[in-house]
Amino acid sequence: MNTNPRLLVSSLLAAAALVALPGCATNVNTVERAQSQATPDFVSDKRVVTDNTLARTVRVNSVNQATVSGNLLKIQATLENLKNNPRTIRYKFEWIDQSGMAVNSPNETWKTLMLQGRETTMISTVAINPRAVDFVLKISEYKP
Amino acid sequence: MTTSTTSLKTALLVAVLAPAALVFTGCSTNQVRNVDSKGPQALNTSGINSQDWANAADQLVGSLLSSGALDKAPAQPAVLAVDRVINNTQAQVDTDLLIKKIRVALSQTGKVAITNTMGLGERAVVASEAAELDELTTGKKAKVVAPHYTLYAKLIQQSDRINSVTQNTYSFQMSLISVKSGLTVWEDEREIAKQSKKAVMGW
Repeated sequence: MNTNPRLLVSSLLAAAALVALPGCATNVNTVERAQSQATPDFVSDKRVVTDNTLARTVRVNSVNQATVSGNLLKIQATLENLKNNPRTIRYKFEWIDQSGMAVNSPNETWKTLMLQGRETTMISTVAINPRAVDFVLKISEYKP
Repeated sequence: MTTSTTSLKTALLVAVLAPAALVFTGCSTNQVRNVDSKGPQALNTSGINSQDWANAADQLVGSLLSSGALDKAPAQPAVLAVDRVINNTQAQVDTDLLIKKIRVALSQTGKVAITNTMGLGERAVVASEAAELDELTTGKKAKVVAPHYTLYAKLIQQSDRINSVTQNTYSFQMSLISVKSGLTVWEDEREIAKQSKKAVMGW
């Protein structure tokens, strides 16, 4: 019985593709308006990276702010998963007042966020204290 | 001869038992550590844990404040009465784990004053009794501020299972109702889904 080498190679490639493709299946494609109508108030940010692996995996693309309910600061950050596989991270917002003191918020806790492959998503929070003028967004790798 | 043999046996026995005693003591020691209930070390269970309560409260408060519904109150701060909290989960939980967090957060904004003369719990009973006592002693009718809004919440649990994987989805629903009109001026829902996998071997 003769085996066609080309057929064998094709079969092997097809089998390899079947194994590899499901790994990319969670990637997210998006469609949005070409000319955005939104005019976000972007925040100029300062970043401190202590986990290079995480920084290479999940990137903060931008941070924008708004004022809600008259005098409460709302912060929104846009996060992007730079990898093809789903990633889970933890994040937490902290607030700081005009004099640089931390403003305790009873419900600000570490939250878990799962990003699909190459997905971009937004996280936001509202300062419950009108004294909050600054924020710190902490991001860490999720370790169950 | 006999004495030296006995001494040797005793020494051997001590040499074997002493390390064993140390090892077994190590096994029975309870290791306790303090963790941040809102931190990454908090235990993640299939039920609603401390982080889930805080997370749900934070998101619901953020949604309520962003909606601007409280800014439309006839007077500031808006007076709020906490209505029923229905727990339709399988867990026996104190709903104050959610409601108290929301009350604290809303109070800190300075945009809400929460009345205790009506609504949930023993506080309302004590407040009513105090008002009655004040009426008796002063002879003046107590002036109770009527709420502008009532807050109503419901907790729901949905369990799904496929093979050895169980998913518990907890829904935290909340509505703000205008007392004057009876209309819902804000409502939102937050869900937390938890999957747990049962071990193939085990009890």
